[in-house]
Amino acid sequence: MITFQNVTKTYKGSTVALRDCSVDIEKGEFVFLVGPSGSGKTTFIRLLLREEVPDSGRIWEAGKDIGRLSNARIPYLRRNIGCVFQDFRLLPNKTVFENVAFALEVIGRPRHVIATQVPQVLDLVGLSKKRDNLPGELSGGEQQRVAVARAFVNRPLILLADEPTGNLDPKTSLGIMNLLDRINRTGTTVVVATHDAGMVDHMRRRVIELDRGVVVRDQARGVYGIDQAVAAAGAGSPTGARVLEAPAGPDGPTARPVPRRGSRRGAIRRPPLPVPDAGTEEA
Amino acid sequence: MALSGSYVAKEAVTNLWRNRLMTVAAVLTVAVSLALVGSALLLKQGTSNATVQWQQHVDAIVWVAPNATSGQSATIGRQLSADPFVRSCIHRSQSYDYAEAKRILPAEEVSVLTVGDMPSSYRCVLYNPAEASAIKQQFTGRPGVDRVQYPEAQIRTMENVIHVLQWVFLSIAAVLLLSAAVLILNTIRMAIFARRREVSVMKLVGATNWFIRLPFMAEGMTQGFLGSAVAVLAVFSLYWGLGLDTVKTVANHNSLAAQMSMGIGQVALTSVFVVVVGVAVGAVGSALAVRRFLEV
Repeated sequence: MITFQNVTKTYKGSTVALRDCSVDIEKGEFVFLVGPSGSGKTTFIRLLLREEVPDSGRIWEAGKDIGRLSNARIPYLRRNIGCVFQDFRLLPNKTVFENVAFALEVIGRPRHVIATQVPQVLDLVGLSKKRDNLPGELSGGEQQRVAVARAFVNRPLILLADEPTGNLDPKTSLGIMNLLDRINRTGTTVVVATHDAGMVDHMRRRVIELDRGVVVRDQARGVYGIDQAVAAAGAGSPTGARVLEAPAGPDGPTARPVPRRGSRRGAIRRPPLPVPDAGTEEA
Repeated sequence: MALSGSYVAKEAVTNLWRNRLMTVAAVLTVAVSLALVGSALLLKQGTSNATVQWQQHVDAIVWVAPNATSGQSATIGRQLSADPFVRSCIHRSQSYDYAEAKRILPAEEVSVLTVGDMPSSYRCVLYNPAEASAIKQQFTGRPGVDRVQYPEAQIRTMENVIHVLQWVFLSIAAVLLLSAAVLILNTIRMAIFARRREVSVMKLVGATNWFIRLPFMAEGMTQGFLGSAVAVLAVFSLYWGLGLDTVKTVANHNSLAAQMSMGIGQVALTSVFVVVVGVAVGAVGSALAVRRFLEV
């Protein structure tokens, strides 16, 4: 569904956002993109939305080489991609229903489609009763649900989320993550860029870790920080989890403990779910 | 993709209302400038109606007598061409003069004329228009010559004044039209700024570029149209105010208004031109704004 092939992206002032990045994401996968600020997560998302073009390398998305897409085709690419942001990006003067309907209106969907699809998706996110409220009258979690509804109402192949829980408390974040999980089960590929360690640890889905523009870890059923067991085993161990660019064990570059952002979350983090040893799952 | 007209109209009207102060400024500027353009065109048309026989720098007309033989007519032509005062000379046939008479004379007079009644004529351009009287002296009374006519100084003065006025009007109008375009551009820029959230969401969910641009373009063109509508009112008030709708009769056909008078069809044509220019100015202003400030 998504393939990055040796993608490099540099911004002005020679800041390297992504360096020789190669990633493969299958249809229906749920992927966390983790890493500290400035590691290239947002660039990854922006490249997928074709708000940026790579300096070199290629990106395939839904079978298309999006670097070769003409400007006129970009809107049609974006109709296959839903996107959710930390700041919700709702229109404050439109009601919940209108916000979601707007996404269909502006791509020219007929009225009867809007009349059926919007209530369905509001039902999915559990906001049927608030359809006539304005965003300002909703809690942060509810606003993000509206944003998710708007991203999903057109049934996109891919749902991208850039820090979707960045403004939310852990309990509300969990609700959003469960929502993304339900959407993922409909077959939609979901990519979530996040700092939310607790969420990543809780969900135990594929984790791609970026550090200064380089993919340093790509692990099925990963956690936010480096999994000590995997790190200790090193890259040579026959595990499903791939620790990339890890020439050595604890002293190698990937063994560097990734600081858990927002230690405030530490106190209220949900206990990790009982999962099988991270190393026994196939990628 | 279905780009519904009602959507574009709704968005454009909403924006116009949100930005009404700027809209009024832009509309008024368009209106004033196009009223000037319209008046200049009307005056030009009126002058050309009043002085139709003196167009293309004709300085003297030698009318051939209706009973002149073709040989006499040809001789007059040769003599005129050879005359040292005459730069050039054109022969006008009877049917040409008949058509012209229909424009100049009251309808009741023309109705009794036939093409055969009309004299043919020679239209002369002189090296020095002031020497037209010399031509009159030379040719009056020659065989086949009915009479020699040249415009009086008043007509020339009027023509010159109106000519200068036209250029003054048109230059002011050009400057005002430019400022109208800039005002429209600025209004659209503010509209784009006011709707930047909507625009970013539209881009995100895959609205096509034209879907995003069109409401803004429609807004600019509406401003241009409203301005030109006001200008059309001004043009019609001028038309009726100056009495340019006067029907020429035997009694009044020497009055200036009657000589400059024109049919409502010519005013309608001027109005159409004014509206087209207004909408075009709106389109150009908004297109520049959209291109410059709407990053799609």
